[in-house]
Amino acid sequence: MRLFAVGVSHRTAPVELRETVDFARRGLPLALEALRERRLAREAVVLSTCNRAEIYVAADSEAAAESCGRFIGEFNGVDWKTLEPHVVVYRGPEAAGHLFRVAAGLDSLVVGEPQILGQVKNAFTAASEFKSTGALTHRLFTTAFSVGKRVRSETGLGEGAVSVSYAAIALARKIFGRLKGLNVLILGAGEMAALTGTHLRAQEVGQLTIASRTLASAEALAAELSGQAIPWSSLAQALPAADIVVTATGSPEPVLTRARVEEAMRPRRGRALFIIDIAVPRDVDPEAGSLDQVFLYNIDDLQTIVKENLARRTTEVQRAESIVREEVDRFRAWMQSRDVVPTVVALRQQFETIRKAELQRLEPKLASLSPDARARVDEVTHLIVEKLLLTPTEQLKAADDEATALAYSDALNRLFKLHKKEDE
Amino acid sequence: MTVTAWFPFLFYAASAAAYVAHFSTRDPRAGRTATALLGTALLAHTFLIGMQTMQAGYAPLVGTTAAISAFVWLLGLAYLYVELSTDERAMGAFVTPLLAALAILPALNPETDPRPALLRSPLFSIHVLSMLFAYASFALAFVLGITYVLLFKEIKAKHLGFFYQRLPSLQVLDVMNARAVVVGWLFLTCGLAVGIVWASQIAGSPDPRAQAMHVADPKILIALISWIMYSFALFARRAIGWSGRRAAWLSAAGFVIVLLNFLPVGYFLTRSHNF
Repeated sequence: MRLFAVGVSHRTAPVELRETVDFARRGLPLALEALRERRLAREAVVLSTCNRAEIYVAADSEAAAESCGRFIGEFNGVDWKTLEPHVVVYRGPEAAGHLFRVAAGLDSLVVGEPQILGQVKNAFTAASEFKSTGALTHRLFTTAFSVGKRVRSETGLGEGAVSVSYAAIALARKIFGRLKGLNVLILGAGEMAALTGTHLRAQEVGQLTIASRTLASAEALAAELSGQAIPWSSLAQALPAADIVVTATGSPEPVLTRARVEEAMRPRRGRALFIIDIAVPRDVDPEAGSLDQVFLYNIDDLQTIVKENLARRTTEVQRAESIVREEVDRFRAWMQSRDVVPTVVALRQQFETIRKAELQRLEPKLASLSPDARARVDEVTHLIVEKLLLTPTEQLKAADDEATALAYSDALNRLFKLHKKEDE
Repeated sequence: MTVTAWFPFLFYAASAAAYVAHFSTRDPRAGRTATALLGTALLAHTFLIGMQTMQAGYAPLVGTTAAISAFVWLLGLAYLYVELSTDERAMGAFVTPLLAALAILPALNPETDPRPALLRSPLFSIHVLSMLFAYASFALAFVLGITYVLLFKEIKAKHLGFFYQRLPSLQVLDVMNARAVVVGWLFLTCGLAVGIVWASQIAGSPDPRAQAMHVADPKILIALISWIMYSFALFARRAIGWSGRRAAWLSAAGFVIVLLNFLPVGYFLTRSHNF
């Protein structure tokens, strides 16, 4: 059985082409169905995201690789001539390595992004529901999931927010723990205010209050975020209740002075206040950040964090790659033993059968020997068989690439007419 | 006996190394190893204390060295409980080095002192165990306070680095600190109350140490000061909102006083508690 990964990704194809080969558009079951009808492979999993369209198959012949490539074009109505230069084929352990890198987020546009692992899981679930998976793809994908998990827990590859909004939320979590039930005050009702508000809403914050110079726009955003709008004039009353303040007004002057924040902090009795100033020019007097229990971050601070996080991810790539290599080696060993072990077993069985048959045939002549001598005959014949098998078995197990191992076991199967057991 | 006395220390030291390695590399295997080593250290320590109890016929609580041994044991257990219940290993890198450092003292001097007749009261055992458990709680509060301040400084300075990536949130550290101080304060109060009752019982004894059971004795005086300190910390948190950084500093200062009482005062200065 051979393993292939065939497809296009953001590394091999421009976005215009990737858009046209989107399996998800017509649905994965339909693609799996079409694959089955064509009898291209014994096992198949289709992975389709906005950055890649790939098919992982276990097939009997090398020809399956190109057929799968053609299938990607055919199914999506793209001419093979257009598609061919962008299609990449990975074979055997290389295919496993590719999937492991994908699952770990190493092959993603933003290195270490976490969604891809879920997408790989969905692809496998869809295929196994459709019963198009088998022993090989099952092992391949479950290993890929654990590679994804290992990379996430053992390296910093997925760590650190890589967008300003997420950087702000990560900070808020580091200050408050869970954000559930915290009061949020948003100053301004523009695009940035809306974006950050949406992210915070997703964290199940408590009361979301929006204040803007024009009450109407505050009310519009409040409706969108299921929050509450207040007039600009009642800002002083709303400020002390807020745990997180997001400022994103277009005001040329700071709207929150140090004195104003200090006053708001008094009734908070030591509870922390996190101010996220994403306005340009700044909405909050930087001096307010020196107040006790006030954490003030402006857009530049957040952007610096994002840059640092991206740089850190790059340094973690090496560690993630070594985890992938380790798992690929293990998977390669497993594949080889899978290819070779049945042959070894069959070969030994055949030799043993011949030995037994010959002893049986000679039984009348051996009958005259003493029991001691008969035991010696049995032992000697056994030893001869063992010695004959020793070198070929070693050579077979030492074949260090999949093609050689397959060729060897194929040759043995033919030469000795071994009855090879079908794969489970 | 002298060889087995080193086992707890060796395992504490090994677990401390593993916790520090886990803290800096964040390798989950190092973390699991660290927890396993700490568990082993505590088992070895329990075994040792058990042996000493069997040999002497009473728990080895007499003398500063034995008290330190019991303190290390209680702190280790308390920390392990916190780790297993919160699934948070970061504190271990701060607690276990303290355990390892303190465990040297009983390892160097493993002999259990004979228990004088004066100390055969069960009140004495309750007093010592309450005090030690209070000190163990305060040690945890101290570590939580220190880490709170470290993380606070990083976030405040907008330099998100080493501790930012490794420690739980400020809120969690603060809440855990508050709990540790409450538990410690309860045991300290109980320990002091039992101590006063016991001291009044032995007041007639001719033993010079019983004569010295007085507020003016450094050991007793400093214990009372630490009680006032932690009472203030509790009051300040509830009544005037001294949480977070201020609470962290208070618990750190409180533990410095506790350590002062434990080591220099316990070994050299006290006349009432030199058993």
